[in-house]
Amino acid sequence: MERVLSVESLVTRFGAQVVHDGVSFGVERGEVLALIGGSGSGKSVLLREIIGLVRPTAGRIELLGTDVWQSEPYAMDELRGHFGVLFQDGALFSSLTVAENVAVPFVEHTDLPRDLIAPLVGFKLALVGLPPDAGAKFPAQLSGGMRKRAALARALALEPDLLFLDEPTSGLDPVGAREFYRLLRALADSLGLTVFFLTHDLDMLVAIADRVIALAAGRVIADGPVAAVRKSDDPWLQEYFASRA
Amino acid sequence: MAENLTSASWVECRVEDDSDVLYLTGVWRLANVAAIAGRLRELGLHARTRFVLDGSKLETLDTAAGFILLRHLADVGCTQAMVSARGFDARYQRLLELVHERMTTPPSAAHSGHQGLLQRVGATVLAVVRMLKMHVDFVGVVTLELLSLVRRPGRFRTKETVSQFEAVCIDAVPIVALVNFLIGVVIAYVLGVQAQRYGATLFVADGIALGICRELSPILSSVLVAGRSGAAFTAQIGTMKVEDEIDAISTLGLSPIQVLVIPRLVALMVALPLLVFVGDAAGIAGGLLVGNWQLDIAPQVFMDRVHAALELRHFVIGIAKAPVFAVVVAIIACGMGLQVSRDARSLGQNTTSTVVQCIVWVIILDAAFAVAFQRMRI
Repeated sequence: MERVLSVESLVTRFGAQVVHDGVSFGVERGEVLALIGGSGSGKSVLLREIIGLVRPTAGRIELLGTDVWQSEPYAMDELRGHFGVLFQDGALFSSLTVAENVAVPFVEHTDLPRDLIAPLVGFKLALVGLPPDAGAKFPAQLSGGMRKRAALARALALEPDLLFLDEPTSGLDPVGAREFYRLLRALADSLGLTVFFLTHDLDMLVAIADRVIALAAGRVIADGPVAAVRKSDDPWLQEYFASRA
Repeated sequence: MAENLTSASWVECRVEDDSDVLYLTGVWRLANVAAIAGRLRELGLHARTRFVLDGSKLETLDTAAGFILLRHLADVGCTQAMVSARGFDARYQRLLELVHERMTTPPSAAHSGHQGLLQRVGATVLAVVRMLKMHVDFVGVVTLELLSLVRRPGRFRTKETVSQFEAVCIDAVPIVALVNFLIGVVIAYVLGVQAQRYGATLFVADGIALGICRELSPILSSVLVAGRSGAAFTAQIGTMKVEDEIDAISTLGLSPIQVLVIPRLVALMVALPLLVFVGDAAGIAGGLLVGNWQLDIAPQVFMDRVHAALELRHFVIGIAKAPVFAVVVAIIACGMGLQVSRDARSLGQNTTSTVVQCIVWVIILDAAFAVAFQRMRI
C-alpha cells in the first residue's frame, strides 16, 4: 500500500486558541476516508492546512511525497495538479459559465488545443451527471446539487489522484445527497481515486467511507473502519452515531 | 521529451483474424492527450471492421485519454457492438466502461457566446431603460415609506441615522476639504497667471469665490460622496442581500426600506450640504494661500473681495443643490444594493455601476440647474 497523505503531530494555534494539539494520521492510495468532528473541532482548518492554504503552527504534512509546508513554490504548483478540491458551496467562478469553469484547469495547466478542450469539458460534465445544457449556464442559475456536480467536474478535470471534499452533501436534500455520494463512490472505484472528505452526514459516512477519523478537542479520538469507530465509548461519538434513527 | 519518444506510437493497429486490433502502449494520460488524438487521426481507421482494444501494453489510463479514444472510435462510426476490449487491467477496464457509459451525452457548448455589435447596443439600451424604470419605481417606494413614517414618527431609526451620518459626513471631512483646497489652489494659480497680464490679479478672489461656492464644491463633494458613500451603501446592502439578511428583516416584520434606506437617505441629505460648506471654506482657503504667496494679495484684501463678490444667493445656490444630489446618490446606491442578485459577480458590478451612475447624474443635474438658474436670472 502506498501512503499518499501523512499528517504528523500537527499543532495549530490561533493566538491563545488551540485548534489542533498533535494530530497524526495517514491515508493510503485508493482509500475513501471521512473526517468527522463537531462544529469548531478544526476539520476545515485541517483540510486547508493539507491543501496548502493555511500554515500550521508546527508539525508535518506530506502529500503525495511532497512536504506541503517545506517545499519550494514550484514543487507545490506541480503538486496542485495532482489533487482536486471541492469546496463547500462549490466555489465556482460566478463570472464564468459552468463549461468555462470546468475549462479553467485545462486552459491554465495543459497545452491542449481548444478543439480538444471543448469535448473534454463536455465529457467531464457528463461524467458527473450534468445534463448537456448545463454547460452554457452560469453558476447562479443552477440548483445547489448541480453546482456541486459542476464543481466536482472542475475538481476532476486534471485527473487527480486525490480528491478533497468539504461537506459534499451539505445543503442537498436527502435524495440529492444520496445520488451525489453514490456518484462519488462510483467515480472513486472506477478512477482509483483517493477521497478525503469532511462531513456531518452520517448516511454518507456509513454508505461510502472505508475509514473514519474523528477529531475532538484538537486530537484524533478515533481512527478506523466505520463499524469500529461506532463502538467507541467516547461520549461525542456515541451521541453522533445515536443520532441515526 | 524522452518519454514522448519512447511511447511515440501510442497505438499500433494490426489485422488479426479479420478484426483490427488496436494495441495501446505507454502512458495514456491527460498530458499526452493531444499527441494521442493526433496519432489516432493518422491511423485513418474505418468502421468497416471489428475493433479489439488491447490493453496489455498499457502503462496507465485516465478518463481524458479513454474518452479521446472512445470518441474517436465513435466519430469514425463504430457502434458499441463493433468494439471489444481485452488484456486491460481490471481498473482500466472499469474506467473504460464508465467513460463509455457517460460519454453518450453529447458535449455541451463551451462558450457563453459572443454577441454582435447590434445585439450589444440593443441589450445595453434595454438595460439602461430598465435601470431608469427601476430607479423611478424605487423613488416611489421610498416616498411611500417616508409618508408612512410621517404618520408614525416613532419608527424613525435615529441611532442608525446618526451612525450613518458619522460615516458619510464626519469621516469624509478630511478628503472633501483636501480635494477642494487643492482645486482652490489650482484654479487660483491658473486664473492668476492670466489675470496678471491684465493687471487684474485681485479678481482671482472673485473667480475663486464664485467658482468654488456655486459650482465646484457642490460637484466635487457630491462626486467624492458618490465614490465613497454611494459605493459603500451598495456594497453594504448588496452583501446583506446575498446573505439573505434583507429577507430576514422583512420576515421580522420590519421594512428594509425603513431600516436600511431611509437612515442612509436622511443622513446623506444632512451631510452633503455640510460637506459642501466645508469644501467652500477649503477652496477659498486654497485660493487665499496662492493669492498671498504668488499674486501678492494680502489675505485681508482677498477676503474683502470675496465678501464683495460672493452674494448670498451664490452661496445658497451651491448649498441648496447638495440635498438634491444627496437624494440622487442615496436612491441610486441603495436601489442598486437591493438589486444585487445572489452571486459575488453582481455585487461587484452593481457597486461599480452605482458610482458611475451617481457621478453622471450629479453632473447632468448640475448642468440642468446651471441652465435653469441662468434663465431665472439668479
